[in-house]
Amino acid sequence: MTRTTETPATRPRPAVRWKAVLSLALAAGFGLVAMSWPLLASPGGALTETTSGPWLFALLLPLVTAVVLLQLTDGGLDARAVAMLGVLSAVVAAVRPFGAGAAGVETVFFLLILAGRVFGPGFGFILGCTGLFASALLTGGVGPWLPYQMFAAAFVALGAGLLPGTPETRAGRTTELAILAVYAAFASLLYGLLLNLSFWPFAITHGNLAYVPGGGFSENLSRLLAYSLATSLGWDIGRAITTVVLVLLTGPLLLRVMRRTARKANWA
Amino acid sequence: MTNPVRRTTHPVAWWGWALFLATAAGRTGNPWLLLLIIAVAGLVVTWCRGSEPWSGAYRVFLFIGLSAIAVRMAFYVVFGGSDGPTVLFSLPSATLPAWAAGFRLGGDVTAEGALAAAYDGLRLATLLICVGAANALASPRRLLRSVPAALYEVSVAVVVALSVAPQLVESVGRVRRARALRGNTSRSPANLMRTVVSPILHDALDRSLALAAAMASRGYGRATGIPAPARRATEASLLIGLIGLCAGAYALLGAATPAPLAWATVAVSAGIAVFGIAFASKRVPHTRYRPDRFGARDWAVVASGAAAVVGTVLSGASFASAVESAALWPATNPLTVPDLPMWAAGGILLAAAPALLVPSSRGGTP
Repeated sequence: MTRTTETPATRPRPAVRWKAVLSLALAAGFGLVAMSWPLLASPGGALTETTSGPWLFALLLPLVTAVVLLQLTDGGLDARAVAMLGVLSAVVAAVRPFGAGAAGVETVFFLLILAGRVFGPGFGFILGCTGLFASALLTGGVGPWLPYQMFAAAFVALGAGLLPGTPETRAGRTTELAILAVYAAFASLLYGLLLNLSFWPFAITHGNLAYVPGGGFSENLSRLLAYSLATSLGWDIGRAITTVVLVLLTGPLLLRVMRRTARKANWA
Repeated sequence: MTNPVRRTTHPVAWWGWALFLATAAGRTGNPWLLLLIIAVAGLVVTWCRGSEPWSGAYRVFLFIGLSAIAVRMAFYVVFGGSDGPTVLFSLPSATLPAWAAGFRLGGDVTAEGALAAAYDGLRLATLLICVGAANALASPRRLLRSVPAALYEVSVAVVVALSVAPQLVESVGRVRRARALRGNTSRSPANLMRTVVSPILHDALDRSLALAAAMASRGYGRATGIPAPARRATEASLLIGLIGLCAGAYALLGAATPAPLAWATVAVSAGIAVFGIAFASKRVPHTRYRPDRFGARDWAVVASGAAAVVGTVLSGASFASAVESAALWPATNPLTVPDLPMWAAGGILLAAAPALLVPSSRGGTP
């Protein structure tokens, strides 16, 4: 190991195998369909003929998550990664209640984004799942929304792990923070829209804002945007602002602390 | 009682029961049935729940359900919905321009529309309350033990998280006390970051490395002797299942594939993926301390939940009277008092059986 010459992009991270990469890509495709099927279902398709669409995806999403987690951890997640996952999930579960109650204050994403950045996409994906699962278990918030939340948060952390590397200089660190902040804003808004989409067909079934089965893309998109505007845009913008602020405030410290641990864990 | 050690019901049985009740609620819009489901769930929760921290979840979800009804009503008043002849009051109305999809805001609020919105909100509230009942009844730690053995590493991580979270709180107290003893009472965020957040995180992450060393020294994470063909079979079935699920989802969205074929693709690939997980779980050589068995009483709890679904199916079936089938989805225009479908009501009453089957675990059972 020539540790002195390595760039941040090749920092020690838990390894991800190609089969796990393939599963992640497939699961991303499936998850996108599972959340945005109200927009994508074309008139006359099998999904628009029944009312079981939302239930079907709510049941299949945990299965897909389990398959991906199995592929990611197969061959043994080593003890360091498991212990680190456990502790970081505990931190996620501990900071999550700070965001509950206040409109749009989201205190989980900055941690997921920073951890995904340091420990890599595979670890980030698992952390997104275990963190939200642990927090739901601790607060009694297990419900049909949990698979969607876990899945979306997992991809938020995974995306942060895929961001381009920056050089280990003062300018590089500033650039890194800027990239992370932009990503944080983008990811928070997208997360809000996708979760809205997943809950939309349950939440409201008739009226101007309701999902029209077989209504086609443009009809349902305008209804969805109106629904988002009416219900959750304030929350989504609040989430984006708090995440960006927290990333900028805590980023330098957290990145340093976590990198130190990753170095000590000595992942090959 | 043959097994004095384990007296409480399996958490998976409670989730099965609650999800069956929720399915029954999803299959009807009849307010009497929905209120009956809420009452049954409340009865079982009050009789069977323990006195653990999560046992209060039912009340929380009851409030969430009430707010769901309120939100649904507010939506109806502002954005409109179904209309009827009985105008209760009129709001000033505005029509949005065409680029904003031409919605009408405000306008007449009718009794029929308000009732339809209330039924709809009640249905969502009932679903939420069923979930709340499961949260109140099922112990999350025991639920975690039912995670497939193949996901062993992930469930260990969650167990670590559940036990570390209280330590974090304790760590915050310790660091703050030490800080105060040093005479540092600054409230500036930068100072707090440096002197509180940073030590806590260092502490937690260093502890994780110590934990990892402890786990490794006790043999955790050793290479398990899984034969290569078995490993390849697992991986192949998982990948094939995943590809099939993606293809099935794609086929369900479009109109090009006939519906039976699309549904069959989804079902078969889900089966393959489940097989892959089960196969991988069989191969994992981990022993379990005090395995949680799914006993006859657990099956009875699940079956009583299924009775509610069967009841709603029978009410909608062809041999039931037309009045009964119509009562599952009562019309709100013209305004009438909805009938009570007998089959469905009977099934939902059967779902209250756990209140008699399961002894209350209040007062000291583990």
